[in-house]
Amino acid sequence: MSAACPPQSPAVAKTEVLVDDWCPMLAATFAYWDNILGPRVRHIWAPRGQGFSLLCDGEVTFLANHTLNGEILRSAECGAVDVKFFVLAEKGVIIVSLIFDGELKGDKNTCALSIILPQSELSFYLPLHTVCVERLKHIIRKGRICMQKGYNIISVLSSEIVPIMELLTSMKKHSVPEEVDIKDTVLNDDDIGDSCHEDFLHKAISSHLQTCGCSMVVGSNPEKVNKIVLTLCLFLTPAERKCSRLCHPDGLFKYDTGLFVQGLLKDSTGSFVLPYRQVLYSPYPTTHIDVDINTVKQMPPCHEHMYHQRRYMRSELSALWRAASEDDISPDNLINAQDTFTPDLNIFQDVMHRDTLVKSFIDEVFLLKPGLSLRSVYLSHFLLLLNRKALTLLRYIEDETQKGKKTFRSLRNLKTDLDLTVEGDLNIILAMAEKLRAGLHSFVFGKSFLTSMQERDLLMSF
Amino acid sequence: MIGSPDVVAFTKEDDFGELFSDPLSLPEEFSVPLFNHAAHANPWTKTSYAKFSKDFILISEFSEQVGPQPLLTIPSDPKVCGTFDLNYFSLRIMSVDYQASFVGHPPGSNYPKLNFVEDSKVVLGDSKEGAFAYVHHLTLYDLEARGFVRPFCMAYISADERKIMQQFQEMSSQFSKASECLKMGNRKAFANELEKKLKDLEYTRSVLHKEAELQKTNSGCYSTQAIEKANELANVEKSIYEHKDLLRQITSYPSRKRKDMDFVQCEMEKATEISAVDDTLTCNSDNAVKSVETESDNRKSTYTPQFIKAKSAKCFDKRLKTLEELCETNFFHQTLEQLNLVEKSFRGDLSFIYTSQINRALLTKQRVTSFLFEAESDWIDETSKNFKVSSNTPPIPILNLSGELMNLESYTTSVDVDHIKQSGESSEVPAESSTSDITQETSEAADTETKGSFSSEKSIETFGSVSPSNLQSNYFEGLERSKVSTTSSYEDQKVGKMSPHRTSEGSPAEVFGNGHLVPMDSACCIGQDGFIYEEPTPEIAQECCGDTVVNQEPLSLLHGDPVLQMDYILEDSTLLGSPNKGLMFSELNTSVLSEEAARINIEDVSDSTSYMSTSTSSDRAASPFTYGSVLTLRQKKKAGHNALRFIRQYPFAHQAIFCLLSGRTLVILGSDEGTVRKLVNALLIYVPNLGKYGETVQPWLSTPFQLTDLQRWKLIGLQRAFSPAGSSILHSLNRYSRYISILDCDNKTLRCPPYKGILINHMADHRTQIKRGSTYFLHVQSLLTQLTAKAFLYTFCHHIHLPMDMNDQGSVTSRRTNFLLQLGCTVEESKIVQYLSELIKTHCIQGHLKGVNKSFFSFDYTTSYLYKI
Repeated sequence: MSAACPPQSPAVAKTEVLVDDWCPMLAATFAYWDNILGPRVRHIWAPRGQGFSLLCDGEVTFLANHTLNGEILRSAECGAVDVKFFVLAEKGVIIVSLIFDGELKGDKNTCALSIILPQSELSFYLPLHTVCVERLKHIIRKGRICMQKGYNIISVLSSEIVPIMELLTSMKKHSVPEEVDIKDTVLNDDDIGDSCHEDFLHKAISSHLQTCGCSMVVGSNPEKVNKIVLTLCLFLTPAERKCSRLCHPDGLFKYDTGLFVQGLLKDSTGSFVLPYRQVLYSPYPTTHIDVDINTVKQMPPCHEHMYHQRRYMRSELSALWRAASEDDISPDNLINAQDTFTPDLNIFQDVMHRDTLVKSFIDEVFLLKPGLSLRSVYLSHFLLLLNRKALTLLRYIEDETQKGKKTFRSLRNLKTDLDLTVEGDLNIILAMAEKLRAGLHSFVFGKSFLTSMQERDLLMSF
Repeated sequence: MIGSPDVVAFTKEDDFGELFSDPLSLPEEFSVPLFNHAAHANPWTKTSYAKFSKDFILISEFSEQVGPQPLLTIPSDPKVCGTFDLNYFSLRIMSVDYQASFVGHPPGSNYPKLNFVEDSKVVLGDSKEGAFAYVHHLTLYDLEARGFVRPFCMAYISADERKIMQQFQEMSSQFSKASECLKMGNRKAFANELEKKLKDLEYTRSVLHKEAELQKTNSGCYSTQAIEKANELANVEKSIYEHKDLLRQITSYPSRKRKDMDFVQCEMEKATEISAVDDTLTCNSDNAVKSVETESDNRKSTYTPQFIKAKSAKCFDKRLKTLEELCETNFFHQTLEQLNLVEKSFRGDLSFIYTSQINRALLTKQRVTSFLFEAESDWIDETSKNFKVSSNTPPIPILNLSGELMNLESYTTSVDVDHIKQSGESSEVPAESSTSDITQETSEAADTETKGSFSSEKSIETFGSVSPSNLQSNYFEGLERSKVSTTSSYEDQKVGKMSPHRTSEGSPAEVFGNGHLVPMDSACCIGQDGFIYEEPTPEIAQECCGDTVVNQEPLSLLHGDPVLQMDYILEDSTLLGSPNKGLMFSELNTSVLSEEAARINIEDVSDSTSYMSTSTSSDRAASPFTYGSVLTLRQKKKAGHNALRFIRQYPFAHQAIFCLLSGRTLVILGSDEGTVRKLVNALLIYVPNLGKYGETVQPWLSTPFQLTDLQRWKLIGLQRAFSPAGSSILHSLNRYSRYISILDCDNKTLRCPPYKGILINHMADHRTQIKRGSTYFLHVQSLLTQLTAKAFLYTFCHHIHLPMDMNDQGSVTSRRTNFLLQLGCTVEESKIVQYLSELIKTHCIQGHLKGVNKSFFSFDYTTSYLYKI
């Protein structure tokens, strides 16, 4: 009897995720290309209790299948994760799909992990695209290992899908606006030092710029925290601001990897747990600013940060690879799996390189009358200067090295020629240039990483 | 929790750069590379494995006959695509129908239904090929096609994935425009095609009808043939109905879609035509048929209906229409133009595109200073460009004497009111004497009287179409002008004397009294006493002067005359009493100038100045760069190359640049036109307020220049000729040598005041390792941005300009000096900042007079030195 009937299509498993507020994500899906049945959806994640939803499960499945269509022609290298982005006006949705290969039931399959949002959220989503994609890429790396080992991939994927849903939910209400009013910032104070100590402000902005505009502001008072968050956001582009978050007055937010600036509240005991892994996985080094005790600490520059990040990632993946059973692959177990995995808790360091650019800006901007647009215009002059210097530096290096064909050996000349002899100034401009040309730090400093660290060690001992 | 830096932990035995010896044997395919870039890779190589040399646009179709196929590329040069497999890529991007929606006979419907599907946008990539694409899917209608639809896509293909995602919204908007253009043309073509088909069908029906009637008449009964004919006729009837329905559908294209901002018409100038077409199409179907008929009368009159056979050609026998045929030629070419623009606007490196967008947005906030060194297109013309970056321009506030802050825009509005009033008054009294004549006479008189009587360090005059210093007095004091303008008749009389268009007397003394030289408000004059010279615009001068020959020095040295000094004091007090009055002078003339007039002024400057000398028109008409055209950033970048050569060749480049930045006219003297022009080109990037058309630069002049020219031109290329004309040129050089700097490119010498400071040293270090002119230009640009910021700060730091009381000018001066010292400026650099500040103030007042040359002439007597190589 049963042989006469076609096999029933198994129902697609679904996880409903509880989120605090309205989540702009309609669904997330995991689909794969079945060698017999074609594209199949394996799992759907959807926010729970969102009331009216644009898509029913059938439509989600249809869309998820669509993401794999055409991938039969895929000729990517093994392990590559390709990103596809759809704006389907007919369906009123945007879909972000990460296509990768993985082993399911002994067969190599093409898989797609996708998130679906309403088309109306396009401009909200675009600034966050890189954050989402980078985080999903790493969870896919872990997922591929699980697939290879025959473990359940869904729980692994859930460990990142759910936080991304939460991130998008939180950003919907608490992201920094595209345009920050200078009146909401420290730069509107009558005099320097009214809101915070002059040196603290200088250090905070300088370090913030040295770490590519990536900072976390920690404190007990949400207003104070948010004021500094908005002040730092003045130095970002509008798109970067939309990728920054104010602190929640109830302290509900945890650190989220990939945001540019984020405000975080300490708990009732006045302590704050710093998630080492998440901070390390941020695309840029981060500045840590504590507005309660006026301290500013920063992570090492981009090339060192990337090195640590990659090393940590490799260790994490290796631990997963070595996991004996599915029970061993929880994050805690992974961390304890081996000795070399011990995180370095001193990754935040004092801001050692002082600059003249920010210093003179801070000194000068307070000379202008507050409450008007003067300071805002002056700020735009400053940002224009930084942008131009960064582009000049980039072009200088390109000219010197014939676009990377030759090794860059003339850092000293660069400093003199471009008036960047002060180390802090150079760091700021290099950080800005890094955002324009990823990998610039590694290219410029290359193997001198060790030397630079030793030099720093020596300098600090004096 | 966050401890002190502990770097030892990082400096483990594993060598940075060497392969990380992972003790765990994680296969590389599951791992992540330790470095961003592989062994021999670098930040630039990620695009190197792409098989095409630069970004391009590909239009592909999913042909019902041959499947996905590339149609054309933009640019069309095959070298651009290189060995990149367009067929394969077309297959990849067209293999999925992303617009899946029903077209054809819907269930339960007897007639085909057209669906106006919206475009889909997809970003995808082929990491192996190193190609990433923004793909814009659209559907066109074709009566001959299966389901009446032909799927097409336009793809922007780049090796840089980040570029596509970062520019997604802009790309999407640009491609939507192109797509809408195609679709509009297609709707029109489709309607025409339907109309023709209807004609054919109607003709076929009439033929069949006749034949059926004939058969019925012949046989008298229903033969098999007659029945077949009747069936055929019924099919044709049905077909006519279907086609009419299709025509109704295509002509009732939803108007909301047309009105959507995303679907903007292709080009503004063609928008009317397009909307006319669409309007025609959106009428009700019956009317629409008529309108289409009317519209294409000519074509229709020539169209002969054809008999349609019962069975049409098989799918593979027929030739599919080309894209051009599907969309009509005009629309097709408009689309190509639009796509060419898209290709150009996204051409090049992302870092450059991105920074340009950010900078443009920042510059729109700096309108008050952008005119100094920025190409105008960057902060005016392109501000309307939507790059998703805010471009709100905050108003700049100013202070009046009472210290009350006001918005500058409202301030300039009030200035306008005064201008109008003044203009009205002045127009009542026709100008009877030549202002330029007056100028020359007074100047010569002054020269004769006081030659050599000034200390070299004492600055004397400020010449200007509007005196910035005077502006400053108005700027900070004159906000109550509206009240002051109704001052006593005595004051009116006095001020009236200062007005350049009120006088009719011509004696030098009277001329002076008549206000062509008016005392500056010393509170606003930076460390100097002086006069304001009001220079009439050339147009007015021409009207008034006829062919008067100018042969006198400026009246500057009258400063030494005690009688006139007294007069000056009187005038000064008048001015203080009525600060607003001194503001109006040249604006009487300039306010009527439009931007176009300014441009014409450049081109026709020979006309306006020909009365002054025997100069040839070609000399004076010569526009600095491209005759009468807008000076672009690209030209400036090219100038960077010459500038780099200049600073390497001339060790006294600092001094030359200092002259230009501080507003002292630099004359480049040489016998070879090419060399002079090259030097002018090299130095133009340092000229503040260059003007949209480069108005402040005269690249080649073969006649003596005049004093008025020094107000207009800040960089002059002058011919050294060994002829009578040449001697008069040398004479003019000698005559005005104290106001100008002379770079003799034949003898490689420079005569100018000295410069001490570090700012220009950074700008013009002859040992610089910068290799390319464009990079050097960027470097100069960033230093000039720094300088502009300083000038902005100096201008708008109200407290340093406000006197404690009316007699407290001394402390203001010292405050300003100290302020500049605090900013780290040397004496010379202070002069630069002050000059730029004066320009900013002038611009603030006259900013709304677009295109008007806002230059002014200020100088001081500083000892000049001769520099040699």
